[in-house]
Amino acid sequence: MLRIDIQGAPEVVTLLCSGRLVLGVEAETLRCMAASRPEARVVVDLQQVYAMDAAGLGLLVELHCRARQQASLLMLANPSPCVRRLMALTNLESVLQVAGPAAPELARNNHEEQRAMTA
Amino acid sequence: MSGSSQSVEHDALACEFVFTGDPAAMIAVRDRVMDFLHEHCADEQQEIDIMIALQEGLANAVLHGCRNDPSKVIRCYVDVTPEAITIVITDPGEGFDTAAVIESTGVGTNLTQHGRGINLMRGLMDEVSYRRGGSELHLKKLRTRQL
Repeated sequence: MLRIDIQGAPEVVTLLCSGRLVLGVEAETLRCMAASRPEARVVVDLQQVYAMDAAGLGLLVELHCRARQQASLLMLANPSPCVRRLMALTNLESVLQVAGPAAPELARNNHEEQRAMTA
Repeated sequence: MSGSSQSVEHDALACEFVFTGDPAAMIAVRDRVMDFLHEHCADEQQEIDIMIALQEGLANAVLHGCRNDPSKVIRCYVDVTPEAITIVITDPGEGFDTAAVIESTGVGTNLTQHGRGINLMRGLMDEVSYRRGGSELHLKKLRTRQL
């Protein structure tokens, strides 16, 4: 089971995930939730995710690639030890944007810098 | 036999799960296998490792071995000994070039949505091997707790 709590801040939304992010309804729930957000900056907090499989990792890559295509931002926050281990096993640590508790603030600043550079 | 599964318990520490080649049946079997293994895992981390590896093995059997065809059948045999937990997943597919696939999954960073399953299984389990040309997957996790 995966539970997602939504935490809003101006122009940034944080999706607080808890449970397991695996193939099936869990991965589909996060996919729909992330896709439905109007904010250009989405933080996915993984501190309470105790298990993830290849489908979950694939979903994070999918959301990351989609955000880049749309010139928006996806940031992962506080990955649990399990999530960190799986990201390391699949060499995704260097690709996905990962931050600690300050992720929402970083997401806001990072996106504003990107906008300034492209303006 | 569409979307169904059944199990035959051989003894207290071994069980065979038989299910059809569709994702819904696979997820139900994954959870049933983990229910069976719950009390035999040394700790929560070992249980999570096995769950993830099992998930990958079953998903590959459904997707590649059965091509999501619910008329095909997958067998998942689980055996618990004092030394190890062994899972054998057999699908009716033609198998694959195991050496080539294992070599390709270990190179570089994969930015697609698929193709991480074998890497994960190899990282999480103590032994991962394929037999019968790739249509039979053997997963082994050593136990750190005595029965």
